[in-house]
Amino acid sequence: MVETAGAALEAIGIVKRFGTLVAVDGVDLELARGEIHALCGENGAGKSTLARILAGALAPSAGRVASDGPVGLVHQHFELVDRLRVWENVVLGREPRRGLRLDAAAARERVRSLAREYALDVDPDAVVESLPVGIAQRVEILRELAREPSTLVLDEPTAVLAPREIDALFATLRSLAARGAAIMVITHKLQEVISHANRVTVMRGGRVVLRAATAETSLDAIARAMVGGDVPALATRRAVTPHAAFAARDLRAGDGAHALRGASFEVRGGEIVGIAGVEGNGQSALCDAIAGVVPYAGEMTLDGEPLRGNPGARTAAGVRTIPQDRQREALVLPWSIARNVALGDHTRPPLRRGWSLDRQACDALATEIVRRFDVRAASIRTSVAALSGGNQQKVVVGRALAHEPRVVIAYQPTRGIDVGAASLVQSRLIEARNAGAAVLLVSFELDELLAVADRILVLYRGAIAGEFVREGFDRARIGALMAGAA
Amino acid sequence: MSRRNAAIFAAVLLAIAAGAMALAGANPLAGFAALLRGALGGERQLSETLVQTTALLFPSLAVAFAFRAGLFNIGAEGQLIVGGLFAGLAGAALVAPGWIAIPVILLAGAAGGAIWGGIAGALRARFGGNEVIATLMLNIVAALLANYLVVGPFHAPAATGPETAELPVSSWLPVLIPGTRLTISLLLALALAGALSFMFARTVFGYALQAAGEAPQAAARAGIDLRRTALVALTLSGAIAGFGGATLVAGVLHRFNVALSPGYGFIAIAVALVGGLDPLWIVLAAFAFGILQSGSLTMQALAHVPKDVVGFVEGLAILGLSARRIANPREESA
Repeated sequence: MVETAGAALEAIGIVKRFGTLVAVDGVDLELARGEIHALCGENGAGKSTLARILAGALAPSAGRVASDGPVGLVHQHFELVDRLRVWENVVLGREPRRGLRLDAAAARERVRSLAREYALDVDPDAVVESLPVGIAQRVEILRELAREPSTLVLDEPTAVLAPREIDALFATLRSLAARGAAIMVITHKLQEVISHANRVTVMRGGRVVLRAATAETSLDAIARAMVGGDVPALATRRAVTPHAAFAARDLRAGDGAHALRGASFEVRGGEIVGIAGVEGNGQSALCDAIAGVVPYAGEMTLDGEPLRGNPGARTAAGVRTIPQDRQREALVLPWSIARNVALGDHTRPPLRRGWSLDRQACDALATEIVRRFDVRAASIRTSVAALSGGNQQKVVVGRALAHEPRVVIAYQPTRGIDVGAASLVQSRLIEARNAGAAVLLVSFELDELLAVADRILVLYRGAIAGEFVREGFDRARIGALMAGAA
Repeated sequence: MSRRNAAIFAAVLLAIAAGAMALAGANPLAGFAALLRGALGGERQLSETLVQTTALLFPSLAVAFAFRAGLFNIGAEGQLIVGGLFAGLAGAALVAPGWIAIPVILLAGAAGGAIWGGIAGALRARFGGNEVIATLMLNIVAALLANYLVVGPFHAPAATGPETAELPVSSWLPVLIPGTRLTISLLLALALAGALSFMFARTVFGYALQAAGEAPQAAARAGIDLRRTALVALTLSGAIAGFGGATLVAGVLHRFNVALSPGYGFIAIAVALVGGLDPLWIVLAAFAFGILQSGSLTMQALAHVPKDVVGFVEGLAILGLSARRIANPREESA
């Protein structure tokens, strides 16, 4: 490979072990000055571990990293001090001093000139907690740029951004690269790779399985490399006679920036309604209100009947939820699969018999879920803590869809699971829809909604900002509404 | 705590005990030998060890019960005392055949413990109050309240110590082995351990209780009322400890005395944790701690090791096992 601009960073034979787990297994990587390099792979492929090693935040078990300057790392979950101002965050740890005192004027000026230089528009005096995520990310990038890195690594930087913000981010990264920096972006959104990166490296199981110039590869080839085979096709949607199933009127819940401020909508039986929006625009409050786990105002009906009561009563009425945090909100981690599948249905037949749980019924249900959802586990007696995230999620989704649900509330059901498992979960949701369930699907991945939903509602600042039916899905328009366009 | 860590922990405690014996000027080997001889050396010694085992088993099961629901009840001592007090008052007042009196006395004890545990449960359910603090403080209230009542209003006229009047002989628990203090309370404790084991493994009630303890958010989403669970769990936990106090009154002392418990409710925390909160393992753990309790006097007499060495080691065990739990009470058990 000809590197006209030269290497900014070179990693040779990187290995990282955590106990018996080999997270990174002999990776060689070279980042050239002036390039945007995409690093792809499924969850657990070793991308984030590799990124931390490149940035010097983690020592490799073997191998070495050579770099011709500092390496900046922009974390997936921002590491900013929320209560401090932008300029304070940027200079934190490298504060300009005058004698014993912090030279605030100099620091502020430095941040301002840095922001101007890189065209990263932020107010140096804003308090970080008041900033939207897209802007907070700029602060995180500025902080790394203040160290004048020769290489900048960004871990899933687009996960929290609206499409328009993503374009702005890549414009910034492009200009940084043009000044001679090497940029590495970890992402699982393959469209971004094709559109914005020069080269791509794909990892699977800690090893590099594909290196290519993006001009010479395809979305399909990258996806196949990530999965290690073909990506399974989604279930086909069938025509269903829709009848009114779930309706919400002027629903309000939560408080502060992430509150839901009056949403009215309907999800008919046999329909998947996608909730599009950037994280933190009221999605959690919406789902929690429907599940009955938070106080709310407004009305909900199920086939015209008011939906009330505690979460147990709602479950019994056929409202099933796939919560945001499967490990805390959905599963009892030390318990077996067979014991977990009863949670929420332990109070009623068929899983309850008299004072006891019906073990045979629980085992039968667990066996059925394991089979239908292809849960990879030694047996139904395996503790769910021992399962991978994807397999845990399959148990959660399997349980939610097991009892012919009338309403399914799915919050990011494919977050953090591999492509194969995600596709299976999406297919099962489509099948539930085909069987007549009203499915509400919250996702921060617009592509997921475009592929799966019959209708999309855009949630922005706690209110519904737009509605699109499948025939009229307009990626650009939905993206604009997600970012707050009128 | 894994079985391996438990073994390491036990080994460290044994080493510390040996060191303490050596510091007291005794030969540790002779000390351990005397301890075992005093606890297991004959029928009388063994029966006394089983009396101690029983006394520990009730509060240990009480602690485990609350713990499985995610609640750290360190008030088993206070619940045991209040239960014993209720049993002592009921037993002294009640003139009835044994088959009526004995169940009434035991249930009075359970009711007393249930009230004491229930106060902490209600504080938690109503105000979100920390049950560790509430149960701990209620221990002190229980001790002082019992002391006041048996020195004052309920002091037995004929008694010299701070105690209630003696129970009629017909209200004493039947003895298992004639000539010993071992009563049917041992069988009751073992039956309770078996029942709890079944309850945790099989019943819907036990399922919901443990779901609330292990994963409160998931439990709440599954319709399990966490506040109600806290109230019920601490009330029943208190009832078990109070029942244990009643067996001491009706089976061992035959009256309530302020010295009813040498700290069974505290040692119970260590017993429950050593037993991995599993009722059946707790039976074994209670027997091991019963050996310490009953052998310590012989150890003092024969090997000249102060019996306080046992209290010292038990104290270390409680501290070592509970420190992490207090810091993070929802941490996964066993």
